[in-house]
Amino acid sequence: MLHILKIEWLKIKKYPAFWWMFGIVALTYPGINLIFFNVYNDITKRKDVAGALAKQLLGNPFAFPETWHSVAYFSSWFVMIPSILVIMVITNEYTYKTHRQNIIDGMSRQEFMLGKMIDVAIIAGVATIMCALVATGFGIYTSKYADRWAEQLHYIPLFFLQTFSQLSIAFFLGFVIRKAFIALGVLMFYVVIVENAAVAYLRYQKLDFIGKFFPLEMSDRLLPVPAFLGKIDQEAYDKSLNAVTEHTIYTIVLTALIWWGCIYLYKKRDL
Amino acid sequence: MQILQLNNISKAYGRIQALQDVSFNIPKGCVFGILGPNGSGKTTMLGIILDVLKADAGHYRWFEQEPDPHQRKKIGSLLETPNFYHYLSGADNLKITQHISGRGDAASIDAVLEIVKLTQRKKSKFSTYSLGMKQRLAIGGALLGNPDVLVLDEPTNGLDPVGIAEIRALIKELASNGKTIIMASHLLDEVEKVCTHVAILKKGKLLAAGHVDEVLLNEDIVEVAASDKAQLLTVVQQMPEMSHFKEEGDKLQLYFPQGKADLEAVNRYCHEKGIVLNLLTPKKKSLEAKFFELTNN
Repeated sequence: MLHILKIEWLKIKKYPAFWWMFGIVALTYPGINLIFFNVYNDITKRKDVAGALAKQLLGNPFAFPETWHSVAYFSSWFVMIPSILVIMVITNEYTYKTHRQNIIDGMSRQEFMLGKMIDVAIIAGVATIMCALVATGFGIYTSKYADRWAEQLHYIPLFFLQTFSQLSIAFFLGFVIRKAFIALGVLMFYVVIVENAAVAYLRYQKLDFIGKFFPLEMSDRLLPVPAFLGKIDQEAYDKSLNAVTEHTIYTIVLTALIWWGCIYLYKKRDL
Repeated sequence: MQILQLNNISKAYGRIQALQDVSFNIPKGCVFGILGPNGSGKTTMLGIILDVLKADAGHYRWFEQEPDPHQRKKIGSLLETPNFYHYLSGADNLKITQHISGRGDAASIDAVLEIVKLTQRKKSKFSTYSLGMKQRLAIGGALLGNPDVLVLDEPTNGLDPVGIAEIRALIKELASNGKTIIMASHLLDEVEKVCTHVAILKKGKLLAAGHVDEVLLNEDIVEVAASDKAQLLTVVQQMPEMSHFKEEGDKLQLYFPQGKADLEAVNRYCHEKGIVLNLLTPKKKSLEAKFFELTNN
């Protein structure tokens, strides 16, 4: 395993797109959270009754321990950025025909796929570390409830699981379609239009028990809307929190199936 | 010991039969040429033994054992095209080859880059290499760590005449050091110049396989000439053992069944009949002639 990690690191450490993603994530994660942080500050700073009410209602989304949840939620909107990289990582191997050469040089097909899984894990890991750093930054900056800092820390591993799962879906498209731009187009179309529309429609038709099993929706529900946005409908908010465990299981099963499928296909087909 | 054994390998792409029931063995220490026109199934065959393609039927064994990824680590291979990461330098690409195969170390990367004359450009990105340089890097990758078996698919592809001569010399040198080299080529003189064994493929079928001398010389040819050609012509008609002869300009080519050509006997016979030969030489049938003869039938 360590051996494969070393090989994959040799491949990506000098890949410019990897560092581009790193840079863009380093800008967008703090950026989006800063926007919502400012919105929150603007509302709660008001000296009138509405301001006081808002403060009471919204709580402190960017202070410990809420910061883990809020930052993870907003950062997760940008899963498209690492998705592009993930698609490049697999389609590059096809373009350069290194997916053959690695096997010729003595990798087993399973090891090759394991290597790709490690790549996706590294990319999800980088995103998670960035998210955790931003959350910590806000937590320290607002300097409230520092003693309760660890209470909602589980949103960080949940962020990792969600990112890893959704990037695995992106990987699968790149793996099957083989062409970077087509795979990216299909992913965009699916993420932005197809699944959103389908899930919303099914919810409207009271068929959410189907809607929740859409591939991205499964893991989207690992990070429910944060308290200050969700408390508008307390009942729905509590329900969404309670569903996290259930969706953790769904997500793990789906992700495992995706990788099992990739390995199975790769072992069987001509390269 | 057999380095590679192929048994009834078949492979089809849709309706195109790329390989049909191909079987032969490659003994240790030989330079084995796989010869065939474009599209005859050479690369498909090498793809199968390197596990990037799956055979529809038949099986193969490396080192007299069932196929296993670890065997490939001991084989330096170049299949079809140089396959490297475009954004990495030549040296960084070989580092990946080294880590995957476990062959060689940092010093041996420099050593093979020197052999393939890429030392000057080892830090340049692969994408900036010329076709010939890419090919040389691929050969470097195959040579990394000095493997005992090499699989080279059209190794001189894209190289200039000097490069081609260098690679041929390199292959001969490796062969003299006891390496087993399996080489596919559609260049006849390439195979003729370096190979000890040959297999000829046509449209996926194996036409012949074995030692170069056996495959390419199933008749002995003796070339003779004399100043009085007319007299020579009448005399050779009754030459014992000879099967037939051909006129080739001023010379005559006498065909004998394999192993029956005896230069001394030919000379003595002509001399007894009053002819003094000014040319007497055994001749290997040229590979080209043999190749056309085989592939046209």
